[in-house]
Amino acid sequence: MLKRIAVIVVLFCLVGSVAANEDLEHTNILKIRLGWNYQLDTYISPLAYNGMLIGIGNEWWQPFRQDTRLGRTGRLAHWAHVGRLDVRGFSQVNSARSNKIYGLGLSGGWGAFYYWQWFDNRLKVFVGPYMETEFGARYLVSNVNKPLSLDIAVDVMAMGGLSWSFYGKKTSYRLNYQIRTNLIGFDFMPDYWESYYELEEGIRGTARCSGHWNHHTIKHELALDMQFPHSTWRVGAEHEYLNYGTGDLHFVRNQISIVIGCIWNYRIKANKRL
Amino acid sequence: MKILKNIVNCFAFIFTLTACHPSEEISFSMDPVENVEALWQAIDTKYCYVESKGIDWQAIHDEYITKAALLKKDDPVTLFDLCAAMLDSLHDGHVNLYSDFDRSYNTAWYDNYPANYDSHLQSLYLRDYRIAGGLYYCTIDGGKIGYIYYNSFSNSFSSSNMAWILASFADCRGIILDVRNNGGGDITNAYRLAAPFFSKSQTIGYWHHKNGPGHNDFSPMEEMRLDASLSGGLKWNKPVVVLCNRRSYSATNLFVSMMRYADLSTIIGGVSGGGGGMPMSYELPCGWMVRFSSVRMYDREKKDIEAGIEPDVLVTMQSSDKDDIIEKAIELIHHATKQK
Repeated sequence: MLKRIAVIVVLFCLVGSVAANEDLEHTNILKIRLGWNYQLDTYISPLAYNGMLIGIGNEWWQPFRQDTRLGRTGRLAHWAHVGRLDVRGFSQVNSARSNKIYGLGLSGGWGAFYYWQWFDNRLKVFVGPYMETEFGARYLVSNVNKPLSLDIAVDVMAMGGLSWSFYGKKTSYRLNYQIRTNLIGFDFMPDYWESYYELEEGIRGTARCSGHWNHHTIKHELALDMQFPHSTWRVGAEHEYLNYGTGDLHFVRNQISIVIGCIWNYRIKANKRL
Repeated sequence: MKILKNIVNCFAFIFTLTACHPSEEISFSMDPVENVEALWQAIDTKYCYVESKGIDWQAIHDEYITKAALLKKDDPVTLFDLCAAMLDSLHDGHVNLYSDFDRSYNTAWYDNYPANYDSHLQSLYLRDYRIAGGLYYCTIDGGKIGYIYYNSFSNSFSSSNMAWILASFADCRGIILDVRNNGGGDITNAYRLAAPFFSKSQTIGYWHHKNGPGHNDFSPMEEMRLDASLSGGLKWNKPVVVLCNRRSYSATNLFVSMMRYADLSTIIGGVSGGGGGMPMSYELPCGWMVRFSSVRMYDREKKDIEAGIEPDVLVTMQSSDKDDIIEKAIELIHHATKQK
């Protein structure tokens, strides 16, 4: 077990720092999402807000290079890594329809995973660690002296998933399911009734170590990749659930979105960087 | 297909697990008791003066919950009036209730004070004026004194506006800065207006905010500093007299408080209106918004400024043909320059 943890730590450190001496298969997915978003942020209101969200994101998958010192031992044979970058904006209204929130969310993450393959590589199962940073800003339209709520969370997560490839007459399909949940991390929220005048002079707030005892994140996605003769597309559904708080402060986000993505598979030539 | 079915089932199961909402959320409701209770709770846990004003807030709860229980659920106007009456007991100009059809307000903080301002009498002085940003200005007393009237700290101005004004007053012996009937606005403008009258940056007060449900739960006191460089290098080295009255409220009250520490300043007129509690807002189950003070502000001696600032020279307007406060300010400037 310790050996595996050591391998994971080394992988985190080595990524991107080695010279490329081999061709690598790289998968890139550019996604747009449209969905519904529920949010409760007691920092700005005790009422829940619901509304639409729209976002764009990029996701890339790549096996680790095998020409590194670790790779040549064969220990990286079933290891790959994934990275994501997402931006989303949303507009929400409370249940009384008396106030609105506009928000912006940014998130980025990177993880390494180990995979197993069966049935002529048609079924693939993977698990691994994933590190994610999230930043959210919310603006409540009719608020006085406290118009913005900011939060930042950094999480080390457990990631897992599986994919199943199957073939039609002219099209190949791959059904993917991925799930991530937080293990340990750090989150920050501004002090409860701090005015924005005070925030201007330095944000004071609650920064703390987070884990399953005080912070719950589950993100999962079900998607179907369709490979046509000249292009590959993804359609799917994503669900994100985030729930954390301290004292009177509580933040909950629950969102479901439809995802449409365009997939590129390309090969990175030896001694070339992205 | 079995794998596909299992994956979809798994997705649905996890979604169901996370679909329940937390207990902190309050649901939309027009129920009078629920809304009065939520309003009472909001003030009880978040309003910063429950203790210091000596309000028996529990007795108010008992009185108004009983009244709310008698109200019909489909009568929002009566519910609004009841909530407004409950808030009125705080005697705070920063406390308001906002609905789609009305906004409650309290006038007790200035009702029993002399007006100390008459726009007709003021117009005898504020003639042939110019307007730079939100500032009205002209010279009076034969060009010997500069006069600035600022009616709202919500009206912004730039350091360039101030530069023009001070340049036009270059030959004057002093400035009268009139903030009477200025109900406040943006604190940033208060700092910017005060900056040219300070030769160096300094502490002008302290503030702290409610950070817990107890009546005395406050964050540690933080220093409020006036940054002299806000003026962009502009400095006024001659006397300045600040005119205020009871309706100089909120950000104006803070401005009056900080101007006491300016180099050559004198505060005259009536006691300022107070409003030293910076307001915040919160929502009720029916969607109405309540505004209330939640940040307490103090002067440099750590004295609460909620009740207002006593002027250096108390002047009450009595004449019907001249503005006694402006006349006193002119006299003070001439007196100060003669002494020099």
